[in-house]
Amino acid sequence: MTTINKVAVIGAGVMGAGIAAHVANAGIPVVLLDIVPKEGGNRNAIAEGAVARMLKADPAPFMSKGAAKLITVGNTEDHLDLLAECDWIVEAVIERLDIKQALYARIDAVRKPGSVVSSNTSTIPLENLLAGLSDGFAADFCITHFFNPPRYMRLLEVVGGAKTKAQALAVVSDFADRRLGKSVVRCKDRPGFIANRLGVFWLQAAVIEAIDAGLNVEDADAIIGRPMGIPKTGVFALLDLVGLDLMPHVIGSMTQELPVSDAFHRINRPVPVVEKMIADGFTGRKGKGGFYRINREKNRAKEAIDLTTGEYRDQRRADVAAVKEAGRSLAKLFDHDSAHGAYAWAVMGPTLAYACALVGDAADDIESIDEAMRLGYNWKFGPFELIDQVGAAWFTAKLQASGWPLPQILTLAAGRPFYRVENGIRQVLGANGAYGDLVRPDGVLMLADIKLKSSPVLKNGSAALWDIGDGVACFEFTSKMNALDPETMDLLGKSIRRVKRDFKALVIYNEGSNFSVGANLGLALFAANIAAWTEIEAMVANGQATYRALKYAPFPVVAAPSGMALGGGCEILLHADAIQAHAETYTGLVEVGVGLIPGWGGCTEMLARWQALGRLPKGPMPAIGKVFETISTATIAKSAAEAQELLILRPGDGITMNRYRLLADAKAKALALVDGYQPPQPPVFTLPGATAKVALNMAVAGFQRMGKATPHDGVVSGALAGILSGGETDVTETVDEDGLLDLERQAFMTLVRHPDSLARIEHMLMTGKPLRN
Amino acid sequence: MKKVVIAGYVRSPFTLSKKGELAKVRPDDLAAQVVRALVTRTGIAADDVEDLLLGCAFPEGEQGFNLARVVGLMADLPKTVGGETINRFCGSSMSAVHTAAGAIQMGAGEAFICAGVENMTRVPIMGFNPLPNPDFFARMPGAYMGMGDTAENVANTWAISRREQEEFAVRSHQRAAAAREAGKLDDEIVAITAKSGAIRMDGCIRPETTLEGLAELKPAFNAAGSVTAGTSSPLTDGASAVLVCTEDYAKRHKLDILAAIKSIAICGCAPEIMGIGPVGATKKALNRAGLEAGQLDVIELNEAFASQSIACVRELGLDLDKVNLDGGAIALGHPLGATGARIVGKAASLLKRQGGQYALATQCIGGGQGIATLLEAV
Repeated sequence: MTTINKVAVIGAGVMGAGIAAHVANAGIPVVLLDIVPKEGGNRNAIAEGAVARMLKADPAPFMSKGAAKLITVGNTEDHLDLLAECDWIVEAVIERLDIKQALYARIDAVRKPGSVVSSNTSTIPLENLLAGLSDGFAADFCITHFFNPPRYMRLLEVVGGAKTKAQALAVVSDFADRRLGKSVVRCKDRPGFIANRLGVFWLQAAVIEAIDAGLNVEDADAIIGRPMGIPKTGVFALLDLVGLDLMPHVIGSMTQELPVSDAFHRINRPVPVVEKMIADGFTGRKGKGGFYRINREKNRAKEAIDLTTGEYRDQRRADVAAVKEAGRSLAKLFDHDSAHGAYAWAVMGPTLAYACALVGDAADDIESIDEAMRLGYNWKFGPFELIDQVGAAWFTAKLQASGWPLPQILTLAAGRPFYRVENGIRQVLGANGAYGDLVRPDGVLMLADIKLKSSPVLKNGSAALWDIGDGVACFEFTSKMNALDPETMDLLGKSIRRVKRDFKALVIYNEGSNFSVGANLGLALFAANIAAWTEIEAMVANGQATYRALKYAPFPVVAAPSGMALGGGCEILLHADAIQAHAETYTGLVEVGVGLIPGWGGCTEMLARWQALGRLPKGPMPAIGKVFETISTATIAKSAAEAQELLILRPGDGITMNRYRLLADAKAKALALVDGYQPPQPPVFTLPGATAKVALNMAVAGFQRMGKATPHDGVVSGALAGILSGGETDVTETVDEDGLLDLERQAFMTLVRHPDSLARIEHMLMTGKPLRN
Repeated sequence: MKKVVIAGYVRSPFTLSKKGELAKVRPDDLAAQVVRALVTRTGIAADDVEDLLLGCAFPEGEQGFNLARVVGLMADLPKTVGGETINRFCGSSMSAVHTAAGAIQMGAGEAFICAGVENMTRVPIMGFNPLPNPDFFARMPGAYMGMGDTAENVANTWAISRREQEEFAVRSHQRAAAAREAGKLDDEIVAITAKSGAIRMDGCIRPETTLEGLAELKPAFNAAGSVTAGTSSPLTDGASAVLVCTEDYAKRHKLDILAAIKSIAICGCAPEIMGIGPVGATKKALNRAGLEAGQLDVIELNEAFASQSIACVRELGLDLDKVNLDGGAIALGHPLGATGARIVGKAASLLKRQGGQYALATQCIGGGQGIATLLEAV
């Protein structure tokens, strides 16, 4: 078998169902089976119920409602024969060896030759799973360990056994990488694999050290969180999120399987406070509460557990002088002469040392361990990157001073960094003590790598233009949160001229967490506050002109968003010849939230898209109505698939599942457009004029009476209605792009002067949330 | 004057728009099956039918073309039978009955099929392309006012409390549920064949409706108002048909006469309170027949909204015990174009079932009108 065209998942619990949903997200048909319910009735009830629940869940396991249709549900008594059509069978049933093994025997009887069978186990060694099973089964068997939730967590740990065929691992890994968008990390058959082995060590260390030091959970999370580039949930809020009862399973398996010499045993001891919480049902967010809770009986008061008494008390603001005084220096924090500084080291020193100890035990190399922690626990930096931050020599010395045994890789490093850049190429320290180049897999191109070995073609404070090879340039936003400002537009204008002269095609892409959050609102508010209306209008006009220049440039432009692409960040997508979007793209025209309308061509482009491509009833209103609804409610597509439904992505635009492959895919798309490239023909609109505006305003007035639209929503929607209806036009006339852009600009200028719009902008800047005025 | 009679009544199940079983059935398919069933059940020789008059409130999209002609051909009516689509919004298929009655009086035919259809899933209320006249809108915005807003206006003007509306709605559901339970709806309902199988059951009736449940709903049209989804007729998919012919023809062909048409009327009113339309129309019809409201034995008053129904009952001095005996549109649903033929057919059937002398079918119409049909036992 060389490709995977159909998948089966057995076990429709949270993980199994989530894996099935994500396979469906990739457009692959998937069979989801669970047992027949003991209470009788619908024999497929468990799998069916799981799909129904996922359709309502938030964050959504599905990237589009349509994906759910790719799942065939059934039960393991009546439908096991469906496995015969599947190329990959994922077992995600309860963590009981006898049940899993009995299931494997039944799977083996029906599966097609060469199909891969994998387990999503997080605690049972592969060796034990395979005990007593045939060599033929073992050759096709491996562990594929997903993280929860499977759609959003990018890590996939893959464990092969001694008998597992290399090709089986290769096929599953390639599928997981390209189709499921996972970063595959190969692990050895050791308990907890990599991420949970280290993660559980870290969590356990953080819990016992906090208790021993008499710390409160707020301070502990403030220390073992943001300062390390670890999500602000830190330790205790993270345990609430994943469920306190998950820990004992992994801890149990590690206790049983790891040799007595393993450092895990040094921190592994019972924690009565936590045991009592679990026994009483305080298992975290899914239970009655966790280390933190919102007390509904006390007017939704925020409370936290006192680690000494085990009782809830009012939540406190974390106040950690050590963090403030250490600034960005982790070493200063670890050395800080305070209980908090001591805690930081008592947790992270052993944790980072444990990471070192995993080299050769759980993983072959350090980069796998770093990747596992970055993607499995959302650490911004892997443990070895953290050691590099404080310096390997410093770390080694402090570890020795603490009396902690020195792991071999630290001795081998001998004070040298784990990562270094040589001749513009990132290198990593190998287990042999020598540095080797970090080689990206085929089809992976990272702007970060290009930046290491070259200088920008153009650059200013908000953006840069890079040469990414083969005649393709890459325009990168570099401002805070990739917000767009006049500098961005200025460099984009210059880049268009430069690409025309020196390149064949342009890709708009960056490696921030968000493609762009839209126009720089702070700047707009500042200009409005000093009544710099001329400047604001020039900013709008310049944005329109620049985006149009991009659209009609004599070379192909491909925009490649990932994360949020909002407002002006969405409008730039709309002006590209093609979009290659990361599957996790969140995009939409959200301007009404700040009392404005899309003024950089967003209304015009959406109208052109829906008129040309919308599968709507005939007549002038359906496209106008659809665009009006989308923009007036600030609709955001919560995936690239949803962006397709909104026609932000057009047929022919691409979706890349794996974040690492986005730039290479976008570049390939741009190059494919080069031969015989012709800029698009400008659209011409036939619009009904004032009559359409009346119809749209009537609808908004209805929503206002219902209390679903605020007074200022009415003003903003009215301005939007004026644009989409075509202004003073009539069905016997046509409006060109210039005409609509003028309407956008005029409406924008009217709104930006409105005090209620300014109040919305100010509120958004202050709170990050829209003002409903 | 010839005597014009109702000699047959059928309808499809009425199901909720979008959620209901008829959502996937095209309106032309739906209407054609109902028309075909009317011919079969009455036993009329289809060749004798002069015209198929089909009411539809938003005759566009799948309800477009000349829907009546399309439906007639789909139902395999003889090609000699004509087809006219009639639009008077909610009064469309009652207008079809009036048109037929008028034509019969002119000697322009003996037998007519008067039908109505609306699939509100597939062709939305207001249609796909609402394009109001901007200048006229500026002068008289009420002409285009949404129906919910007119229901609020009626509730305010006639001081009808939310509680009264809810009591009215509960009664409608109780009566419809009881009628269904007792099999009283079986004769009128035609099972519709769809790709998914046969659709037999009304889908809008909620027997479990309680005052407490309704009291929890948010106002549907005005945050400060009293009209909720529970006291409004639901968006509905459905079709209906009645056979209108001369008494002479019916007797000659041994058709089952339900009732005779005594008088008819149309009357306009202010568009902002369109729900009061039945008052003017009913008064005219009563006057033309030389009758008083107190002489009515059976009343079918379309329940577009509880507020306007109560206002009409009050203004006309109707006896609530005689109004909508088997439930009204709040419970059964209101597929706009199909409602007129349903309530004429229902009033005629009830008159026969209850054994009274006079029956009234009346309804309000968006834009500010009422329409009424007075029936007499034969």
